[in-house]
Amino acid sequence: MNLLNDLNMIAEKIYIKAKTVEEAIQAAKSNGDNFCFLAGGTDVLVNKFQGTEEATCLIDITGIEELKNVTTDGNFLKIGSLIKLDDLKKHEAITMNFPALLEAAHQAASPMLRKTATIGGNILCENRCSFFNQSEFWREAVGYCLKCEGDVCIATGGKKACFSKFVSDTAPVLISANAQLEISNENGSKIIPLESIYTGDGINPRNLPKLALIKNIVLPLDKNFKIIFKKLRPREAVDFTSLTTAVSIDQFGDIKIVLGGIDPKPVVVAGSMNDKKEELIKQALKQSRIVDNDYYSRAYRKEMITVFLNQSFEELK
Amino acid sequence: MKQIHIKVNGKKFDLLVNEHEMLSSVIREKVGLTGTKVGCEQGSCGACTVVVNNEPVLSCITPAMRFDGAEITTIEGVSQNGELNRLQEKFVEKGAIQCGFCTPGMVITALDFVKKNPNPLLHEIKDALSGNLCRCTGYKKIIEAVAEYANEEYTGKRNLKSEIVNHKSVGVPRPYIEATKKVQGIADYADDHKMKDALHIKFVKSIFPHANILSIDTTEAMKLQGVRYIATGAELPITFGVLPLSQDETAMAIEKTRFIGEYVAAIAADTEEIAFEACKLVKVKYKPLKAFLTIDESLNDIGTAEKIHNTTKFNNNVHKKAELRFGDQQQGLKDAEIVSKMSFEMMGINHGFTEPHASTAFWDENGLTMISATQVSHYLHRALAKTMEVPLGRVRVIKPYLGGGFGGKSDPFAHEIIVAHIARKTGKPCRVRLSREEVFLNNHGRHPTKMEIQLGANKDGMLKVLDAEIAIDGGAYGSFGIVTSYYNGVLLQAPYKLDNFGFRTHRVYTNKPQCGAMRGHGAVNSRFAVESMIDDIAHRINMDPVEMRIKNFLEPNSLTVGHYRITSNGVKEAIDRVTKQSDWKNNHGKMPYGHGFGVACGFFISGSALPIIWNELPQSTVHLKVDFDGRVLITSGANDIGQGSDTMLSIIVAEVLGISMDKTFVIAADTLITPVDLGSYSSRVTFMAGNAAKDAAENLRKEISNAISKKMNVAVEELIYSSNSVFSNDKKVDLTWDQAIEIVTANRGAVNVSGKYISPKLGGDFKGAGAGLSPSYSFSACVSEVKVDLETGHVKIQNVWGAHDCGKALNPLAVEGQLEGSWHMGIGQVMTESMEYYNGLLVNNNFLDYKIPTSLDTPPIHTNIVETIDPEGPFGAKETGEGAIHAVLPSIANAIYDAVGVRITKMPIKSEDVLRLMKENKLKNVVA
Repeated sequence: MNLLNDLNMIAEKIYIKAKTVEEAIQAAKSNGDNFCFLAGGTDVLVNKFQGTEEATCLIDITGIEELKNVTTDGNFLKIGSLIKLDDLKKHEAITMNFPALLEAAHQAASPMLRKTATIGGNILCENRCSFFNQSEFWREAVGYCLKCEGDVCIATGGKKACFSKFVSDTAPVLISANAQLEISNENGSKIIPLESIYTGDGINPRNLPKLALIKNIVLPLDKNFKIIFKKLRPREAVDFTSLTTAVSIDQFGDIKIVLGGIDPKPVVVAGSMNDKKEELIKQALKQSRIVDNDYYSRAYRKEMITVFLNQSFEELK
Repeated sequence: MKQIHIKVNGKKFDLLVNEHEMLSSVIREKVGLTGTKVGCEQGSCGACTVVVNNEPVLSCITPAMRFDGAEITTIEGVSQNGELNRLQEKFVEKGAIQCGFCTPGMVITALDFVKKNPNPLLHEIKDALSGNLCRCTGYKKIIEAVAEYANEEYTGKRNLKSEIVNHKSVGVPRPYIEATKKVQGIADYADDHKMKDALHIKFVKSIFPHANILSIDTTEAMKLQGVRYIATGAELPITFGVLPLSQDETAMAIEKTRFIGEYVAAIAADTEEIAFEACKLVKVKYKPLKAFLTIDESLNDIGTAEKIHNTTKFNNNVHKKAELRFGDQQQGLKDAEIVSKMSFEMMGINHGFTEPHASTAFWDENGLTMISATQVSHYLHRALAKTMEVPLGRVRVIKPYLGGGFGGKSDPFAHEIIVAHIARKTGKPCRVRLSREEVFLNNHGRHPTKMEIQLGANKDGMLKVLDAEIAIDGGAYGSFGIVTSYYNGVLLQAPYKLDNFGFRTHRVYTNKPQCGAMRGHGAVNSRFAVESMIDDIAHRINMDPVEMRIKNFLEPNSLTVGHYRITSNGVKEAIDRVTKQSDWKNNHGKMPYGHGFGVACGFFISGSALPIIWNELPQSTVHLKVDFDGRVLITSGANDIGQGSDTMLSIIVAEVLGISMDKTFVIAADTLITPVDLGSYSSRVTFMAGNAAKDAAENLRKEISNAISKKMNVAVEELIYSSNSVFSNDKKVDLTWDQAIEIVTANRGAVNVSGKYISPKLGGDFKGAGAGLSPSYSFSACVSEVKVDLETGHVKIQNVWGAHDCGKALNPLAVEGQLEGSWHMGIGQVMTESMEYYNGLLVNNNFLDYKIPTSLDTPPIHTNIVETIDPEGPFGAKETGEGAIHAVLPSIANAIYDAVGVRITKMPIKSEDVLRLMKENKLKNVVA
């Protein structure tokens, strides 16, 4: 916690601007554990201001041009991780095939934030909780929760697990469309399902290796997804989600339900046209670990899962 | 440190920046352009927006290092060669600027949006501005300005600017006199005043709600390079508080802390960052005491625990009991044919002004000078003299441009006393600016409230009795709380006639940030309750709630049961206007399930007839000086906080003297130069400072007339002041203003005159009669339309129609702005805003989690000004800054009742509560 070094000066801070993925990873390597990749930075910098992000080395990756392309590659659409949320709509391949993604992006944060925030950053957005996203002074006063080196979860009144909310607005839509990530680390690139990076542990909600960077988000173009996106929030702008739902159906009648804002990870339920909708909803409810760490109560958010999913099924008809 | 090269507004800069320094800090502190404002430090308010390489960014969360080599445009670069950009012109012309703190970010955002979306729909404009928070305007005039600008740019057709009639001042809509300065980002607010060699102050804050301080160890902090001084509570033992009866606060905690966030130590250092880091090195040992966090805990006997203040009378934490009774409530309740009894609970809310508190202090041969964001320089002046133990004549308080107050900058604050103290101790200027979190922890906002009310009426709709039992949560200190306690009750005695009326309010201390005055002071929550209950009774007796209200209205020129003198009263016209405009007859009670209309009324004081600190000074004094150049200098202690009081003074003086406003110059709220005005609270400035200005201008006119009369041998009565000239009807006298001034200054030099306002003696002779006494009252009415989502309970306000009797709109554009801002703020409280605590710790202490409505959450607002020409107001004017807020909240709740049949008794109205109540109703109906 102490940022002071022996010379009784404030700890030295480093800012590195990487031009390539390799440069970024190299810079990360040479800064041990004490670094943070910075895309738009709209969340990271607020967390830094509040002291929940303590890296003294920021590696700014916004100069890496190769991460700013949207391309089609056979039956796949590749969205560069540095595409800004506000710029997604500029790409016809996205507007034509994934309008729900635009809707999700448009409902994230506020217009000005969307001009800086990137889609890669959005899917990696740190989990949030009323008891975590606070200043150092505040967290000390509340007695530090599990997510910041405390002993228990305060939101639940003392549980030994962290239930910080997964809050990305775009990720549920992407997962509902079977999105995959093209990841680079020091050993090269690989493709993994987006869904697989979320651990469900509120303290360490993602399992991406520390040195890894997302290059592209890869979406299948041959499934003809129809996706319904919904977001619960008190205001029509600025707010993080209290509940996000994305429900997709593909040309084969396969259904995928993805929930955000009600669990440390996206809750995913797969099924098909022929399944009973109530059964699918039941499964989704069962998997959601909602706690009182939001503007709306736990009970209401739970109730809204059913409402949103039923509405989505109606709209998919 | 790293060197970066940037171009700002075309000018090159090579700067050394800290590696993690934000662009906002570089622009403000190193480039020195302070038009870029910092309101939230987390990208939630938009005030810091600048353009970098043709893209707008939020500079408070943008690392400067990212944009090495970039071209940056700040608000100062928007106008060219002294010419405003056309959007800036529109902002000025449309009255889209009040306090002006959000304006730079708003202009930059809108310019970029229109550039990229040349022909936008209204909804797209609202969407584009939804990340830029404005607390003053309700967005209406901002959206109008952007829409008109976009349309003109797109079509190439310019709407002709409405020509302002040059020599007519009163009643002409006009922008604030300082609007062009604000729209260019060159108006300096408190944190924009830089002092050479200044120290920066940060605070060590209590982490316990109620605890004894055992020790404070500053050794390690003092060792940090750049730390200059560390102050603790014992150095500032003198208590202060805005009310003489509640001097219960010290600048920092001494011996014990009473809320989480209370200052325990203050560190002055060479930079803000060093001070911040040093605070972490201070070790404070506490012994926690039992904390009292709710109204009920503090009302009850506390047993052997320690009280929050040992000055309270009984073994509880009750700060004040206020009770007044008129007529016979018990008999009234027996006699009434219908009695409604309901309980209400309202959460506390915060002013949410966009400019965080900031102050700078220095000492020199003239004593203390304090530049501070304050609504009431006069009380700060007194508090500083008291706590610094210097004569009043050794303190000067200057209020620079101020970014919104709404009551939240009207107490003397701990940070102001601390900077003054450390500046004296170190011999250097000291600066402080609060983080948004600290602003929330300072609070002084609306009290959390619980109340139980009985309202009785006969079946003909006539109100018979009102009895209110109220408890308000004051937090750790007194602030305006004694007044709030009375206002919660006394301000229920109008706009309806009541014979049997009584209330009792308990204000309790709790271990939370203190509550105080906020727009509509004291009356908003109880008004919500009573207007909801009138609606309830109207439904039960099957009467149109509008008709029932009209039946009960007090007449103009009447007395209330508690001896308030009602003079002008436009409440009937107000309700007529909004019901007609909203087609009430055809809409209320006639919409399908889920869609409804609601109505409510309200009233408020035009300034308190009694000063806070009892003395025989006038409530306001205004000085005028005219010299050989013909310009009239107006000096007044009144604080323009974005409500337009400087402009108001100029309008009145120009009107009386028949001169154009450019022949006036206003200097306000500098306690060395300007005569005392009690400040911007209780909606008093237009009425009181306005009357003083009018008196002063009339005195100046007398001086001029006497001189002309003597020289030209005409009777003073024959002289007419109009169109920058002084003449008689027979043209025997026909002077330009400058010629007239030449005559009055001949052999005499500059002429100084003074004017004043002293409220008449009003009210009854019983104890508590002074509460809510005002020389005049404003009245208002609102109709709201809502749609309720039947599956989620979400309430979407479709329209708000509002009308307000302000006596006379001296500046209709400013009046509209005040009304729209009031209704917007009311919508915030009723729909989304609340201060949420966890064990005494404020959870939502930022603009992300504290939910002020955005442009998208604000419905179309339809504004009506009602004029009744008050006999005592300047040119008939009354207040307009606060009174309008009261009616809007209950009108929305009543609309929800009309839509889905549920009665709202809690604020804010959360979707989940509406949904639950709808379900309960359904169950009841099934059972029935």
